[in-house]
Amino acid sequence: MAEQTQASGSANRTASIEAKKAWRQHLARGEAETPTLRIGLAASFTAETLVPFIGAALLAESANPVITVGPYNQLFQTCLDPQASFHGPSDVVILLWRLEDLMLDEITAFAGGDASALRRAGDKLDALIGAIQQLRRNFSGMVIAGVPPYPTGPAANVLALDNPGGLGGFHRTLAGQFADEMGRTEGVHLVDLDAVQRQVGMVASDDARYRYLYRQPFSDVFLHTLGHQVSRIVMASRRAAKKCVVLDADNTLWGGIIGEDGIDGIQIGDEFPGSAFRDFQKLLLSWRQQGVFLALASKNNEADVWEVFDKHSGMVLKREHLSAWQIGWLPKAEGIPAIAKSLNIGTDSLVFIDDNPMEIGYMREARPEVTSILVPSEPAEIVAAMQALTLFDQLEVTDEDRKRADMMRAERDREVLGTQISHSDFLRALDLKIDLFRAKTEDLGRITQLINKTNQYNLTTIRRTLDEVRALAASDAWRLYAFRVTDKFGEYGLVGVIIAQVSDDRRCWTLDSVMMSCRVLGRGVEAALIGGLADDARAEGAVEFVGLYIPTAKNAICKSFLPDQGFTQTGEQEWHLALSDAPAIPAHVTRVGSPELPLQAAAE
Amino acid sequence: MRVEKVFSEVLGLPPDMITDGTSPDNTPQWDSMAAMNLVVAIEDEFDVRLSTAEIVSMRNVAIVKKVLTSKGVADA
Repeated sequence: MAEQTQASGSANRTASIEAKKAWRQHLARGEAETPTLRIGLAASFTAETLVPFIGAALLAESANPVITVGPYNQLFQTCLDPQASFHGPSDVVILLWRLEDLMLDEITAFAGGDASALRRAGDKLDALIGAIQQLRRNFSGMVIAGVPPYPTGPAANVLALDNPGGLGGFHRTLAGQFADEMGRTEGVHLVDLDAVQRQVGMVASDDARYRYLYRQPFSDVFLHTLGHQVSRIVMASRRAAKKCVVLDADNTLWGGIIGEDGIDGIQIGDEFPGSAFRDFQKLLLSWRQQGVFLALASKNNEADVWEVFDKHSGMVLKREHLSAWQIGWLPKAEGIPAIAKSLNIGTDSLVFIDDNPMEIGYMREARPEVTSILVPSEPAEIVAAMQALTLFDQLEVTDEDRKRADMMRAERDREVLGTQISHSDFLRALDLKIDLFRAKTEDLGRITQLINKTNQYNLTTIRRTLDEVRALAASDAWRLYAFRVTDKFGEYGLVGVIIAQVSDDRRCWTLDSVMMSCRVLGRGVEAALIGGLADDARAEGAVEFVGLYIPTAKNAICKSFLPDQGFTQTGEQEWHLALSDAPAIPAHVTRVGSPELPLQAAAE
Repeated sequence: MRVEKVFSEVLGLPPDMITDGTSPDNTPQWDSMAAMNLVVAIEDEFDVRLSTAEIVSMRNVAIVKKVLTSKGVADA
């Protein structure tokens, strides 16, 4: 908890010295010889002092980075040839700049009353944006671009009496334009130095001595906070976000204890401390909007808890926002597997939040894979502490994410139907429709997310970056398929991906990747996929599929996928299916969607 | 001794190679980037804040020690 709160708050001097020390020791131990992550850092200022802070933050996340600093103030050259700037390949390129390094003349002119200087600065900005977009096209790793901080120096006096606007408009316009353009450029991520400067404070961010002596304008606190922020962005792309938060109720969702204080005695609503809990509930709803499931683990009488959810006017959180719950008197750790199972996620995707240190202690003991977080006892600090959690960090929130929690509600309705009639009647009544299609540009973000997040129903668990996926979608040697599933209760969205490599003679498709959300299993979807894919492959002249199954600690669930569809094993991980023996699409499943122009055809 | 340790870590040299006479003129590792890193490391190690005049004056290890002593560091 302590380190979590620290992570996004502004750092103090001791912590920043510790961070530098951790990085120095890491280098001394020689672990940097075998890095797992190669970062190239280029800036319009001296960036060497930022390296230990990015490094230490990544080390704390169990990454083993090597960080190479490119030549000073050579952003354009770096964008053109990152390999040369960083003396070799990089997985991540970080580009940071300040207005006063690239546009000092325009700043001075603008501060002197020359409004047209803003337009001239805009031209320079366009050139920089163009260079970064070119880098994006030629470089297949991750690109992180910095939003410039407010300028320092004589022209930038924010308290000048004769010019209350100061450079505010200049900075706002250019920083805003840069953030807009870069935000629209797929695969470029922003790190906001302006926000870091605001978080740390403008005065505390500046080190005038280093700025003059070394062209290194920032204080340690600024660099420490920036290092954390960069690390968050890098890690969010390399690690699956947590999927569900399991919440205690009393003194976590509201103040007081419902079983003792009663519905009129608990604190939730517009008056403090109820307002602090209300704001926490609003934060929880925003997590739900990003696709995080909300669940409840409360030691209470169930009726008491539902009375609060259903009747208390101060509750922002309603019963329908919850995807699972365990209410009763058993140890909370015992309810964890049931919650995970009902949501089809692993218990290591859960975050447990409780105000009781004993409950947190028990959970850490019994379920170490669950991330357990203690709620601050000071209600005023709850929201800030919870906002500081990086566990739900996600760089791109897709439509599927936004709908996920709602889709789970439909799932519960499906289960009710399933218990009422026979299985075959159930399948017919489901009215299952599957849309298996060649991926289009707008699907690539979601597809990449599935490729990197799907652990369980994933036959090969081959991870790919967005750029690798894009390259593959445009290649004639590959077929990138995705599919959507719909039934009478609603849409599951884009839930699976199949990647096939086509042999040179076109006769064989190797199923490099097959993955899908566990939510759609067991209704004939698997047979429909292979049947549908076989139809398409035959139309292209193929006669056989090669299937691959690479076991991992998590994917035993799809062990029987290939044999179930008629594949026969021919090697340790290799299976074969003659397309003449491929399953047909089951009668209760309809393949919908008209074939649309795949990327290859569109590109031609 | 603490000064020698800081220099040895930052410059990547064995501690016994660091003497009062160690300076950018006889130590190729002490380049402009190392100079900045040395200042950062000295400020961290001794919990002092150096003025730009002091930083600019620190052209060898003996001077660094003298500056630190003048700032009240007893065991530089």
